[in-house]
Amino acid sequence: AVATKVSPVEKETPIEKLKSELLSVTSSNEWDEKAGFDINENESTVSITVVGASGDLAKKKIFPALFALYYEGCLPKHFTVYGYARSKMTDAELRNMVSKTLTCRIDKRENCGEKMEEFLKRCFYHSGQYDSEENFAQLDKKLKEHEGVVSDADLLSMIIFQSDVLGGKVSNRLFYLSIPPNIFIDAVKCASSSASSGNGWTRVIVEKPFGRDSDSSAALTKALKQYLTEDQIFRIDHYLGKELVENLSVLRFSNLIFEPLWSRQYIRNVQLIFSEDFGTEGRGGYFDHYGIIRDIMQNHLLQILALFAMETPVSLDAEDIRNEKVKVLRSMRPLQLEDVVIGQYKSHSKGGVTYPAYTDDKTVPKDSLTPTFAAAALFIDNARWDGVPFLMKAGKALHNKRAEIRVQFRHVPGNLYNRNFGTDLDQATNELVIRVQPDEAIYLKINNKVPGLGMRLDCSNLNLHYAARYSKEIPDAYERLLLDAIEGERRLFIRSDELDAAWSLFTSVLAELEEKKIMPEYYPYGSRGPVGAHYLAARYNVRWGDLGLDQSA
Amino acid sequence: MAAQITPPSSSSSSLAFSSEFNVWKPMRCCFFNWVSQVCPRIRPTNHFRIKSSNGHPLNAVSMQGGMDGSPLAKGINPEEQEEFFIDILDKEEALSTLSITVVGASGDLAKKKIFPALFALYYEDCLPKNFIVFGYARSKLTDEELRNIISTTLTCRIDKRENCKDKMEQFLKRCFYHSGEYNSEENFAELDSKLKKKEAGKLSNRLFYLSIPPNIFVDVVRCASMKASSAYGWTRVIVEKPFGRDSESSAELTRCLKKYLTEDQIFRIDHYLGKELVENLSVLRFSNLIFEPLWSRNYIRNVQFIFSEDFGTEGRGGYFDNYGIIRDIMQNHLLQILALFAMETPVSLDAEDVRNEKVKVLRSMKPLELEDVIIGQYKGHNKGGRAYPGYTDDSTVPKNSITPTFAAAALFINNARWDGVPFLMKAGKALHRKRAEIRVQFRHVPGNLYKRNFGTDLDKATNELVLRVQPDEAIYLKINNKVPGLGMRLDRSDLNLLYRARYPTEIPDAYERLLLDAIAGERRLFIRSDELDAAWSLFTPLLKELEAKKIAPELYPYGSRGPVGAHYLAAKYNVRWGDLGGEDD
Repeated sequence: AVATKVSPVEKETPIEKLKSELLSVTSSNEWDEKAGFDINENESTVSITVVGASGDLAKKKIFPALFALYYEGCLPKHFTVYGYARSKMTDAELRNMVSKTLTCRIDKRENCGEKMEEFLKRCFYHSGQYDSEENFAQLDKKLKEHEGVVSDADLLSMIIFQSDVLGGKVSNRLFYLSIPPNIFIDAVKCASSSASSGNGWTRVIVEKPFGRDSDSSAALTKALKQYLTEDQIFRIDHYLGKELVENLSVLRFSNLIFEPLWSRQYIRNVQLIFSEDFGTEGRGGYFDHYGIIRDIMQNHLLQILALFAMETPVSLDAEDIRNEKVKVLRSMRPLQLEDVVIGQYKSHSKGGVTYPAYTDDKTVPKDSLTPTFAAAALFIDNARWDGVPFLMKAGKALHNKRAEIRVQFRHVPGNLYNRNFGTDLDQATNELVIRVQPDEAIYLKINNKVPGLGMRLDCSNLNLHYAARYSKEIPDAYERLLLDAIEGERRLFIRSDELDAAWSLFTSVLAELEEKKIMPEYYPYGSRGPVGAHYLAARYNVRWGDLGLDQSA
Repeated sequence: MAAQITPPSSSSSSLAFSSEFNVWKPMRCCFFNWVSQVCPRIRPTNHFRIKSSNGHPLNAVSMQGGMDGSPLAKGINPEEQEEFFIDILDKEEALSTLSITVVGASGDLAKKKIFPALFALYYEDCLPKNFIVFGYARSKLTDEELRNIISTTLTCRIDKRENCKDKMEQFLKRCFYHSGEYNSEENFAELDSKLKKKEAGKLSNRLFYLSIPPNIFVDVVRCASMKASSAYGWTRVIVEKPFGRDSESSAELTRCLKKYLTEDQIFRIDHYLGKELVENLSVLRFSNLIFEPLWSRNYIRNVQFIFSEDFGTEGRGGYFDNYGIIRDIMQNHLLQILALFAMETPVSLDAEDVRNEKVKVLRSMKPLELEDVIIGQYKGHNKGGRAYPGYTDDSTVPKNSITPTFAAAALFINNARWDGVPFLMKAGKALHRKRAEIRVQFRHVPGNLYKRNFGTDLDKATNELVLRVQPDEAIYLKINNKVPGLGMRLDRSDLNLLYRARYPTEIPDAYERLLLDAIAGERRLFIRSDELDAAWSLFTPLLKELEAKKIAPELYPYGSRGPVGAHYLAAKYNVRWGDLGGEDD
């Protein structure tokens, strides 16, 4: 944990280094785990305010992730969690609500009940309007009360290090905005003007959607920047927090064997695939306004693409990586209408159960043309990737739940074994699959001789199945991202210029789709999606890897 | 259609053509669903070509005939094609017969490997319709007695036990015995007349398997070729190692063999070449694009060939003591694998093309130097109340023997692809485990961004490709991976292919494959004379020097990991043995 974590972008002084040495009485292993925290641990507090605390995301993801971090000993010593929402609730009611969704990691159940109690004691609630500076000022007052406690250890360190915190503790504040986009700005304005930290940092995590197109996104960024600096804005894309997406860079940059392969010379195409096996299920209101392209492609899949395709960064520092990602995005051709296929699911009866169509959802207009499925072919016009199709596919209500990256390699030139394959050379190419979810795995399809007296080849996998190799539970993406935000590690958050570049690829095609009222191709709920996706792939001489007949599809 | 049976090149004279044309035919099974059968490698191509190729699907025949892309070739209905062949082959089969004579039938190898392999081939329907097996040795035995001996070692494949007993009976009925001296032309003439009787006037092809000590090789070859050769069909002789003790004795042996046999008739067997993963080595290299850019000095830091046995000579040291581990394992098995590993892409998979490339590798190599070799010998060791004997405790071994039972060596190939890459070999008896594997260690990542995560142990952080030949066949690729969790910690994980898990069928023994190849005239896995010469010339000066200087081997305890000298040798070339790492391996 040390390497990436000991170099926070925040200020770092020799004193802190000394201090960290003094503190490192723990075993070196433990130190690994803890080195990641804010170095000001002992003199500082972190107040995490979840704005929109009564919402779904907060309940399902944010509070559980915070508890998991606490349970793992990853949160600083002094922290408080505040829920903020319009509903009237007492602290006890919030705790009650939160406690229902907390779970302890499977691998170490001891003290779970106790830990939960301790965590809940640090959770509070403040009720207020999202656009009321007054309400946020009240929150500020409450936060200050919690932050004001000075412990003996703090006094000691003040004396020893003569640090600049003599006026009181450094109070750092993290706001997690788990609210609809139309009130983003109001909440940011109030929080920043009335509830910013006086002497520490104040950071704001915002969730998608970041606008609907280039203009609205730029407007949002502009508005945010009225109240916050770039450093304070943490745009979260939780796909970047997934274990295998994080591992993508490790695979690329710490394994020599992939180094010569990672270019147009060896890679024939790359596929980024996302599928869900359920529809909007009564929650289509938000979705209908955005559609699958904005909801999945323009952010999650495009981010993974950028990480996949970027040049080697100067270092693993956030700015270096994000610089490379922006370069990839800016080298890409804006998506053309002819390179996009859209679909929408229709109802389907199977085994006596009738699955509803998208437009059967009460929250969706009956005549909605919003795509619930899309496939697209993108191209990066740089020296490394010229001519290599990057295919994306995302859909709801498909036959499985899956997120994966597939790298299909070219065929072997002058293959000696050609004749053994008959004509099906397509199936005989190597393929690297990184399965992000479910069942994290990496596998490499290779051609192999089938054991026996004959000379028959088949496709086998060189496998790494995470569940078999790593017994530990893999942390949720939100845990990683929250921890990074607390530490000021911006690598996995989206910078404003990245966001601009991402929108500029999709905006024109989105506008065209809406203007021309392009009809989506209908596909049955639970199917493999519209066949149009195959025709799109075929145009670029590509075959979707996830729909093959082989065992691992 | 006619074009299909025309020999593909003018190199096949009409005479040669007819002799190859009329050979035994493969079973029908191989034609109907060649893909799903166990013996698809024997395909018609073999019968129409002197240089047999590696067995291609039927449609490949027309392509080889130069009809690739012509309208005619495209118009051929594959089914018609099949029927057409089957017609010819049916007639051919009825007319020909195969006689396999195992010379030295009462020996250990014959009992443990050859007869069981022949039965397995029969059981899998890979032998021709008309065949007989003759045992030949000095002991007086009746046919019945031979059958008794054999039957105790036959087993049926685990996966299909039906009719096993029946099949065994039928197989044994075709086994006969002839007692005779190895140097008696008269006795071989008697064998010939017995064979002729069984062959009943059909076109007879004869295969001799010499499972006898090297000092009588030439006698047997002389007698067999003069008195028991087939008159019309082919006669082939399979010989086992040792092929001499050094360049001179090997050349002498080859010269003597060639007095009685042509190069085409000599099948020098190296059973390591018949191992599943050694066969797969070429498939991996040449049918997977991902390995193509990696296979050179640019990416490979070193290659290791490791062979170990967990037992000693156990009372059978007489033969071994005269040869030692370098001759017994390195100069043949490991060097052959090295040549396959390192060769350039051959023009085709035909035997001559592959062997040409192997010879080129061997000839590009530097003869081994004394300073690049470590030898060892196991000594007695007590463990858990048990005493394991030293090599010289073996009653068949001289008390003062300095024959190596362990050796490690560093070899180099001075060509553009491999210049400077150490190829390390290690072979030993009485080590801590039984293992044969190929390890390819890749270079470190230049300018590794994650350097800090490894601390100073960059050595451990390189990729490694491991082909485990035995036991428990597997291929795995060690990669660096992020340990799941909130931190950024890297470790090495394996991308795995464990054969047992992926392929439930039993893997055939190397001898089955090689016998079948010899019957089919497929020479790819047999060693050509020039290959053998080149192999010896790498080791001969060193072997002589070891013996002349009476270099004492480093002693290592029975059941240990071998002498530490091997580590120093590796360290000299900045290599770390992959099999003795701290990790799981």
